[in-house]
Amino acid sequence: MTAPFLLAEKLERRVGDTQILDRIDLAVQKGEVVGLIGPSGSGKSSLLRCIAGLDPITGGRVLVEGRTPTPGDGTIGMVFQQFNLWPHLTAQENVTLALRLVRKQSRSEAAERARTMLDRVDLLKFADRRPAQLSGGQQQRVAIARTLAMEPRLVLFDEPTASLDPELTTEVLDVIRGLADTGMTMLVVSHEMGFVASVATRAVFLDHGRILVDGPTKQVFRDAQEPRLRRFLATYLQRVAWAPEPEPATDNPALLEIIENPPGEGMPLTSTKPGA
Amino acid sequence: MNVVTETLWAVARGLPLTIGIWLASVATGLLAGVLVACARHFGPRLLNAVLLTLVEIVRGVPFVVQAFLLYYGGPFIGLDLTPILAGWLALSIYATAYFSEIFRAGFLAIPRGHTEAARLLGLSTNQTIIRILLPEMALSVLPALANLAVILVKETAILSIITVPELTFTVSGVGSATFAFAQTMTALALSYWALVELTAYAARRLERGIARATLGTA
Repeated sequence: MTAPFLLAEKLERRVGDTQILDRIDLAVQKGEVVGLIGPSGSGKSSLLRCIAGLDPITGGRVLVEGRTPTPGDGTIGMVFQQFNLWPHLTAQENVTLALRLVRKQSRSEAAERARTMLDRVDLLKFADRRPAQLSGGQQQRVAIARTLAMEPRLVLFDEPTASLDPELTTEVLDVIRGLADTGMTMLVVSHEMGFVASVATRAVFLDHGRILVDGPTKQVFRDAQEPRLRRFLATYLQRVAWAPEPEPATDNPALLEIIENPPGEGMPLTSTKPGA
Repeated sequence: MNVVTETLWAVARGLPLTIGIWLASVATGLLAGVLVACARHFGPRLLNAVLLTLVEIVRGVPFVVQAFLLYYGGPFIGLDLTPILAGWLALSIYATAYFSEIFRAGFLAIPRGHTEAARLLGLSTNQTIIRILLPEMALSVLPALANLAVILVKETAILSIITVPELTFTVSGVGSATFAFAQTMTALALSYWALVELTAYAARRLERGIARATLGTA
């Protein structure tokens, strides 16, 4: 077996008496898209932040292609829940700043690259707008363009749609889905189960700072054996199942499949269906 | 020369120095204030503790006492300054302490994610400060900076007691010589008020300019 692209070994993060991450072992191969799911406070975002080097780890190690990454070394790019665009710069300037200062590209080179990246997220026409003049979805797409412009080897998405409404969520998820198709290695923290089910090749379920389930996405969602995962998915599906009847043309086939053919008998999922 | 002419002449003699010391102190205070705030926000804890103590001392001692100490106490530690230099230095130190606190509040008000995004993209701390944090906070800290600049205009009056020949020194000299205190003090009050109004006007213009440059709005 080849050495994993990303390896987290016995990763620990402890703050005072609180164990935030508890001996996490995670190996990700190149080109894999890993969906990190779990309840709030389970450590998903902390895991991403520790991998990115934004939060210090108190045990274990992180290796990307055999080396310990440091923030800003170009290995890892991250897309945040709150976009974190710089408000005084236009969309294009947000993308060009690091190209100019870090990559030392000329003004025209950086502008050319920024416009290519903005075009890729379908925002070229808004290149001269400032973040405050863009919708949340557009801001997040600019943030994605800014991250991708630096050609990171691994991209971490930390709940990229958590602060967006469903329509804006869709436009951002479409961009991430397109990125997955290019073979980019990605870790995606999301509460959008349908998205994780349709895009991630692998799903990892965390709770209380530990990985409880790790496997191929379909297997994790359909044959959920782990009780905590079952409860988590059931709660999520309950919310979806009681919602207005979804359009049949939804682009989340895996999720539809789960709703229509709930796994296993006696699982709590069945009792949550309307009219059950 | 009658009192009015003498007073106007005194204003004309004192005003340039008042404006000069004030602008020089504001410039020094802004620059040193940014540096102190950066050192406190990004530097090691020990440096933060040392600077915090210094800022607290400057903020805890009346400016008049600081000016006295620097001018009359300076020679005891080999700091034999002219009144103007001592005045500029005293006001600059005073300004630095307060400006640094304004900039520190500005740093704290910027979401941490903006710095983290810069860090992950490979920007150095200096690049992050100069290209992201300072421009980003410019608009929000400007009213506080302008307010302090206005206070500093008036604090220059205190420099008259260490014999800096600025506005208060020259005009109150006329008052003492002629006993026309009401007239001279009125002239003095109007002069400072005019300076403060000019400062406030400049700050409003600057605010609009920064808003246009940083937010694309007027």
